[in-house]
Amino acid sequence: MDTIGADIVVKTLLEEGVEAIFGYPGANTLPLNDRLTGSRIRHYLMRHEQGAAHAADGYARATGKVGVCLSTSGPGATNMVTGIATAYMDSTPMVAITAQVNSDLWGRDAFQETDIIGITMPITKHSFMVRDVNQIASSFRQAFELAGSGRTGPVLVDIPRDILSAPCGDQPKRRPAAPPSKPAGNPEQIERIAQALSRSERPVIIIGGGVKLGNACDRATEFVQTAQVPFVTTMMGIGSVATTNGFNLGFIGTHGNELANRTVHQADFILALGTRFTERSTSRIEEFAPLATVAQIDIDPTSIGKNIRVDLPLVGDIREALAALIPLIVSRERKAWQERIRTDRQTLGEKLIDGGCGQAGTLIRKIQAAMPRETIAVADVGLNQIWTVRTWQSHSPRSLLTSGGMGTMGFSLPAAIGARVGAPDRDVVAICGDGGFHMNIQELATISTYRLPIKIVVINNGHLGMIRQMQDLFYEARFTTSFLGDTVDLTAVAKGFGIQAERVAMDEDPEEAIARMASAPGPYMLEAMVDPNAYVYPIIPPGRSNVEMICGK
Amino acid sequence: MAIEERTISMLVNNQPGVLSRIAGVFSSRGYNIRSLCVAETINPEVSRITLTSRAESDFTEKIKKQLDKLVDIISVTDFTGAPSVQRELMLVSLLLTVENRREVLRAVDLFGCRVVTMSEDHLILEITANKDKTAAILKYFEPFGVEEMNRTGAIAVFRQKREG
Repeated sequence: MDTIGADIVVKTLLEEGVEAIFGYPGANTLPLNDRLTGSRIRHYLMRHEQGAAHAADGYARATGKVGVCLSTSGPGATNMVTGIATAYMDSTPMVAITAQVNSDLWGRDAFQETDIIGITMPITKHSFMVRDVNQIASSFRQAFELAGSGRTGPVLVDIPRDILSAPCGDQPKRRPAAPPSKPAGNPEQIERIAQALSRSERPVIIIGGGVKLGNACDRATEFVQTAQVPFVTTMMGIGSVATTNGFNLGFIGTHGNELANRTVHQADFILALGTRFTERSTSRIEEFAPLATVAQIDIDPTSIGKNIRVDLPLVGDIREALAALIPLIVSRERKAWQERIRTDRQTLGEKLIDGGCGQAGTLIRKIQAAMPRETIAVADVGLNQIWTVRTWQSHSPRSLLTSGGMGTMGFSLPAAIGARVGAPDRDVVAICGDGGFHMNIQELATISTYRLPIKIVVINNGHLGMIRQMQDLFYEARFTTSFLGDTVDLTAVAKGFGIQAERVAMDEDPEEAIARMASAPGPYMLEAMVDPNAYVYPIIPPGRSNVEMICGK
Repeated sequence: MAIEERTISMLVNNQPGVLSRIAGVFSSRGYNIRSLCVAETINPEVSRITLTSRAESDFTEKIKKQLDKLVDIISVTDFTGAPSVQRELMLVSLLLTVENRREVLRAVDLFGCRVVTMSEDHLILEITANKDKTAAILKYFEPFGVEEMNRTGAIAVFRQKREG
């Protein structure tokens, strides 16, 4: 066989360390599918391109490596859009490959032609249209470099079929890449941040998703221990430092922990690590942390001061910046501050039964108890997400994956596939609601075909629970378009896909069913029937501040 | 925050799609591009884009950071408030009548406009000036009957600092 463009793609992917691709073929991907077959790269055939993008995303979140997905042109490419946007919003390193129609057909509305570069421009870090077979290697190398460096994110490579099929000679060898420069940031500013922290009486650290993305979880833990300063996280930051760490106050924001929100509100100094302060975390921005001097460290200059006023900005690699900060910190015992937090923890803890998560909280706690310690939980979106992130104890980073920024329903099932492929020695449990389960239900077939031992928990309340809760609280209980019903037998559906499944009512004890799921060697679905009136508390009404939480109806 | 006119100049890779990415940075944040000028530099692989936009005073910091992140942008310079020479080219097509001919020609002379073509009832002027002056000239000629007008938008270079 002569060497063609597709061979160069495969070779470049191998050089970049790619082991798995999640994809769905079409006429235009065929040259690549053909040449992938003989290689060491495993192509996982998903059942929908959106699933392929989420699987690549889940793979990247579980491993820290760049996830790769592949689709054909036209509908294949547009189906990946939601998955690419999901990765973009949570800064997941990803390379999305889309095949394109032959280059002589561009702009002619050819069959399955679409301007995917134009469509994805606002949701990618960058994109490449490969116009020449000799550009393939350099385009892919740059794509991987961009996806995995700085503030990581998705990069798209669009490659026409004729270029995949074009004969070509040997390509220049990959030059050993210079190790990416990872600056800690301005040393004087680091000094100022250290001084401000050491001087402060009521400091709090806010840990965002950037700490995981910057592989700085161990440094963040060391920092917390050295500085003896309490920390809160954003939803994306959960688990960067073990949730069981004594300095952890929980996560902030709309559905966050009241203790975390209240403590930030009282703080006189905030050190923000890898967070852009989205409104989901801050609620009413004018009333967020009104007393605090804010120091913010981020690799991305545009994230600094994007949403809130920052007194001490530092652009730098979070891992290096923390390494530079740690020796400068003067550890102090702040008795009054610790006492205040301790008292708050006690009084607020008593306010909520079961952490505000009701039956579902109990269910998730029991599931975690039955599964191995290193299990990865993949939460979907809606009530199930909040129940999961509030309940699941992350003992190590990359143990809790969820679509935080984009809030994509249907994320959990395909992302769990990617997580399991990336981390085959860890157990994976996908936790979703009945609404989100439907959205990528076709991926049950992928799980079944590859016999991926993923545990699927569908918390079924017959409703779009979070929509129902908002209608109940903020629209005078006028329920509309939030009822899903019970006409679909999800357990039978799962069985139809070849997956063992059972239903359990939450007024019974789910422990035995959970034990059966945990000990099943293959995939297993547990459908847990919960009360549609079980909501999540606390919740912050739209337009209010983080301290105006509602703790019940 | 105060709204002001901003002049931004960028060196970019001379490739398809680059302008679209830059436009996206402005449009997705609700900024309107008021004028835009794109041309190759001495190096044919590099283009210079000069644009103006009206925006809040923290515009430069926020937009510049976003522009700096684009892979195809080589450098971003803000000319606003800096010592620079800014010019735009304007072509104005005017109707001439027996009554206005004398006054129009006097003004052409006064403003230093260049006459590109002239017939009995019609005149095309070329004006090169900074945009305040082009605006003033246009305003003056409007009552005489401007048939058509087209302008390039501003381009700019820094005033060189003389050493020693």
